[in-house]
Amino acid sequence: MTAIVKNGPPPIEVRGLRKLFWQATTGQAVVAIDRLDLTIAPKEIIAIVGQTGCGKSTFFDMMIGLEPPTEGTLRIGDKSPHGDFDYFRGKIATVFQQDRLLPWRSALDNAKLPLELIGLPEAEQRERAMTWLKRLGLGNFINAYPHELSGGMRQRVAIARAFVVQPDILLADEAFGHLDEVTAAELRETFLALARECGSTAILITHQLEEAIGVGDRVVVFGKSAKLLADIRVAAWPKEKYAVLREAIQFTLQNNAADPRLAQD
Amino acid sequence: MTASNDELREPVRSFTFPRHTLVSLLVFCVFWEVLSHLAPTLGIPPFAIPSLLKIAKSIATITWIDIVVTLARVIGALIASFVLGLALAMAMYRSESLEKYVYPIIRLFMAVPVVSWILFAVLWFPGVEFRIGFVLVVVCGPVFLVDTLDAMRSVPRELRHMMQSFRPTSLQFFIKLMLPAIVPTIFTSWKVNISLAIRVVTIAELVGAVTGIGHQLSVAQELFSVADVFAWTIVLVALLFMMEAIVSRVEHRLLRWRA
Repeated sequence: MTAIVKNGPPPIEVRGLRKLFWQATTGQAVVAIDRLDLTIAPKEIIAIVGQTGCGKSTFFDMMIGLEPPTEGTLRIGDKSPHGDFDYFRGKIATVFQQDRLLPWRSALDNAKLPLELIGLPEAEQRERAMTWLKRLGLGNFINAYPHELSGGMRQRVAIARAFVVQPDILLADEAFGHLDEVTAAELRETFLALARECGSTAILITHQLEEAIGVGDRVVVFGKSAKLLADIRVAAWPKEKYAVLREAIQFTLQNNAADPRLAQD
Repeated sequence: MTASNDELREPVRSFTFPRHTLVSLLVFCVFWEVLSHLAPTLGIPPFAIPSLLKIAKSIATITWIDIVVTLARVIGALIASFVLGLALAMAMYRSESLEKYVYPIIRLFMAVPVVSWILFAVLWFPGVEFRIGFVLVVVCGPVFLVDTLDAMRSVPRELRHMMQSFRPTSLQFFIKLMLPAIVPTIFTSWKVNISLAIRVVTIAELVGAVTGIGHQLSVAQELFSVADVFAWTIVLVALLFMMEAIVSRVEHRLLRWRA
């Protein structure tokens, strides 16, 4: 198997990032992201939490390059995910809330989709996709169509599709929120283990505090309207204080202002 | 866990005898034969409802070349209509302003009766083949265009978003996502257009053509040979069913991923 040459993930620098949308009916601007500053180190695993409508998904879309900033900068290394769209082909991969598999493709063909886009030879595409499907426990289901698989299995295919390019940056948008608790916990563990093994920077967007605290090296709390309320290094908190941390994040989200207890970070 | 790969596959469907179809056709034939014998007593001229035997004799005298010519015209025009319709639909999907200008013209074309198109063709073009091709393309092309454009717009936003997140080129986006996503609609559109084309080609061949099933129908009408009219009509219907069956078979094969 030919290795996909990687230099390791570059840092992510967000400076004064603003994103405005204009309402079609009123013509008024809606602030989706408001002067966001954030630095994400290479190989860091961070969770972004926030209530519905706080700009998490807009940030996600900007990270994958589908939305340009209105003001400020979002740089991955020295490149912009929106401006240097083609450069990031095969370098950023995503797992969505729903599996978003193509229904006309088998598990194998879905998993190898990103490899087709970067133009790897067919044999290598198959080999690489099969390897990842097997690692995710789907070795007996490579030719199954999405409708023939359970929700958890479909999400495994979606995870294989994300890892198959060994991306520098992994983005997961509420990727486990729709699954039952047991399956979600299992998949989350697998996802994190693989992300660490691949040396990818991983950004998980979630509204579940348990998940955020459990998975991330850091938890970034987005408030309304679209501003950074807290940036917490989970490692700085001893495990026995996780309950306090959870309460503090909950307080922050409810009051749209950082809880003083988070200052210990 | 769900059953493994091989267990998941549906068994290959074996041929099922079309019992209901045959029974209903048989009943219709019996009814027709009885009607044909009773026609004089009902005040209908005997030649108006020919017996099945007479129709069968007419079918036996049918010239294959006319069938082949009509079939070639239909298939050729459908392929041209499909290519044009799909190409224009793609361009309109990509360019909103192009769509705003072109769509009203397409709607206008679709509102023009087939007979008017035939008359325009006769007035505008000297060549018979071109006239027939023009009429078929101008009638079937817009159906392909509107169907495929609607299908492209119906591709779920989530799938488009997912695809874009992997940063395809425009061509990859179309080939890997849009085209496979609209295949079911393309098949439906083909089935609708086959039926439309068979009917339109017959009318187009009635005017000016010296070959084809439409021309033979015209000759049969001039000779007051009702049995021949029925024979050619049966051929047309059989042709339609055969083409639809072929499309359905390909559809079943290509869309086996559907639940």
